[in-house]
Amino acid sequence: MSLKTIRWGAGIAGVLGVGLALLFHWQVFFWVPTEASMGIVQRIFYVHVPAAWVGFFAFFIVALCSAVYLWLGEERLDIAAVSAAEGGILFTTIVLISGPLWAKLAWGTWWTWEPRLTLTLLLWFIYVGYFLVRSSSENERTGRRLAAVVGIVGALNIPLIHMSVLWFRSLHPQPVVLRTDGPSLHPDMLVTLMTALASFTLVFLAIFLVRYGAERLERELRAHDSARESGKGVPV
Amino acid sequence: MIRYVQQVEALVRKDLLLELRTWDRLSAMGAFAVLVAVLFHYAVDRTLIHPRELAAGLIWLTIVFGGILGLGRTFALEEEDGAIQGILTSPVPKDAVFLAKVTGNFVLLGLLVLLILFVFGLFFQVGLGGNPFALFGVLSLGVLGFTALGTLYSGVTVRSRMGETLLPVLVFPLLVPMVVFGVRGTSLLFAGVSGAEVEGSLRILGSFSLVALLAGAFLFRFVVED
Amino acid sequence: MSSPPARPAEGPSRESPAEGERTSSLEAHALVRAFGPIRAVDGVSFELLPGELLTVFGPNGAGKSTLLNLLAGALQPSEGEIRMGGRLRSHGEVEWRQQVGILSHQTFLYGHLTAEENLRFYGRLFGVDQIEDRIHERLSAVEMDHRKDDLVRTFSRGMRQRLSLARALLHDPAIVLLDEPYTGLDVHAAALLRDLLSSLKDGRRTVVLVTHDLTQGLDLADRVAIQVRGRFEFFGSSVELPSGPPDAFYRSVVEGVLGGAGGAP
Repeated sequence: MSLKTIRWGAGIAGVLGVGLALLFHWQVFFWVPTEASMGIVQRIFYVHVPAAWVGFFAFFIVALCSAVYLWLGEERLDIAAVSAAEGGILFTTIVLISGPLWAKLAWGTWWTWEPRLTLTLLLWFIYVGYFLVRSSSENERTGRRLAAVVGIVGALNIPLIHMSVLWFRSLHPQPVVLRTDGPSLHPDMLVTLMTALASFTLVFLAIFLVRYGAERLERELRAHDSARESGKGVPV
Repeated sequence: MIRYVQQVEALVRKDLLLELRTWDRLSAMGAFAVLVAVLFHYAVDRTLIHPRELAAGLIWLTIVFGGILGLGRTFALEEEDGAIQGILTSPVPKDAVFLAKVTGNFVLLGLLVLLILFVFGLFFQVGLGGNPFALFGVLSLGVLGFTALGTLYSGVTVRSRMGETLLPVLVFPLLVPMVVFGVRGTSLLFAGVSGAEVEGSLRILGSFSLVALLAGAFLFRFVVED
Repeated sequence: MSSPPARPAEGPSRESPAEGERTSSLEAHALVRAFGPIRAVDGVSFELLPGELLTVFGPNGAGKSTLLNLLAGALQPSEGEIRMGGRLRSHGEVEWRQQVGILSHQTFLYGHLTAEENLRFYGRLFGVDQIEDRIHERLSAVEMDHRKDDLVRTFSRGMRQRLSLARALLHDPAIVLLDEPYTGLDVHAAALLRDLLSSLKDGRRTVVLVTHDLTQGLDLADRVAIQVRGRFEFFGSSVELPSGPPDAFYRSVVEGVLGGAGGAP
């Protein structure tokens, strides 16, 4: 991808994403019907759920790019992985903020060990580990490789973790919380949800492309600098 | 194949011999386990609950915290005089090095688990339940996966400025399956159920260990190579 | 981007692979290893006949250790190729490592194992046959058999380095790589090690010695290279060195590059 393509892609995705964000906020506040049992609070759902989807999708990209990076050693894949991880940590953070808000208003408690929220929390920590490994390694190249390993192993464990938190919950029944999979969603709700999902996906794409381009430029610049420096007689 | 087994055996034997000579990790982990049990005694209000009722959970947490101490030092003994270079430049495949390290660590953690069971039995009158074989299965399958993850990530953190402090941050999020099903299986067995009733837990602990072992064996080369 | 060596070895003679059992030629062709933007080894080529000893001199940070790690198969080259006994070696190949012995300034030994246990451990990693006989033989060659049951941590630096030499030669490697082996040795220990290293020149082993110290290794060398900033700025047989004090020549080569003028003398 040339920088020009990246810039245009990021611009278009960003404008569309923000436009759709305005649209779904209008939908959320003025258009979509209020959910019967939970009332007005349920409207957080239109931010919370798409953010979670995008957060998990981002992690899938991190793992995929990391695996191919280890295989081929192509630096661009590492840049893609780290850019996706940055977007991912942003959206999982949104989930972790909106979830407890919702829980507090709907059920009177900030944290309910709702399995998907718990999984998101663990995922968030895996992301944190991914960045810590990257930044604290003895040198940058090693950091990239080690972070890739962390990303892959984390992703491989996600299904088992998911199963465990779900199962743990089924064993310890708690007050009924959330039934997105329950009785079919009102069509307007579905439209709003899909608008929000499209918006978040586009915003993620924009962030991803901006970060990707910036990271690539930064590395090229640093490569250029150190090549010049070593040409001046600084020992390698 | 025979060659592979011989190399793994040489590595394991060397690690265990070193541990036997120095007692570095065993003494730290053992002291930790006993002291944690003492602290648990004061942390749990016996007028409300007897530690025995929490035994399965406490045992698993002691395994996790004590184990991570030892696992974090997996590569410490190789750093001494560049010995890890000697191993990595020898004709031993990287996965053999990983499996050997896991085996050695598994033996150490196995001893730790035995000590923990003994201490909890002594301090809190926790029995083994009626089915020691199933208990052995639950404990060893859980600990195996934990060991594999800890060994792999210990190779990661040894190359990090943050060192061993980073290890729990990386490993703990992945231990949820082990803790959920390990505690579940263990507490059922302490309550005296038959082995068949923990089959589900055993199966999940088994897949947890298998994923960790395969991922580690495959990815270890990227951790140690440049 | 990478200059050929100042002087290629004359008459490349390649052995047939069948002969490559115990002796082996060693060749590097346009070897490059980059760490990010930095090319620690930058287009190094040379050919060594079986039994020859190459000494690579160079200032700190010239990429000598990286070169040795490439030859050891511990690092993957970014570009270029390595041949042993005429055969192309691919990274990670088991037979490659089997043929190489490494003596570094780090000994690779475990302080809490005895001399014999250390050797037995490495012998089994390399799959050495009749291992006890070999250990005994190697220990007496470095005059360490009287201490075979003592823990290595009780040894002096010189004794450790001798034991490390026994470790490096345990599997009878055709190619021996020496990375600053004299570091930390006193005069006496260095002289002892020098005698031991000269016994490596039995015509069967191809040796590469890397050092920043001109007083060591020049007399043993069949070929000499001067590596500066990743490249061989001089490569030739030791008799081709210009007359006069070698350190003056060395300094002129190094300063020719680092001083900014660039190029070989």
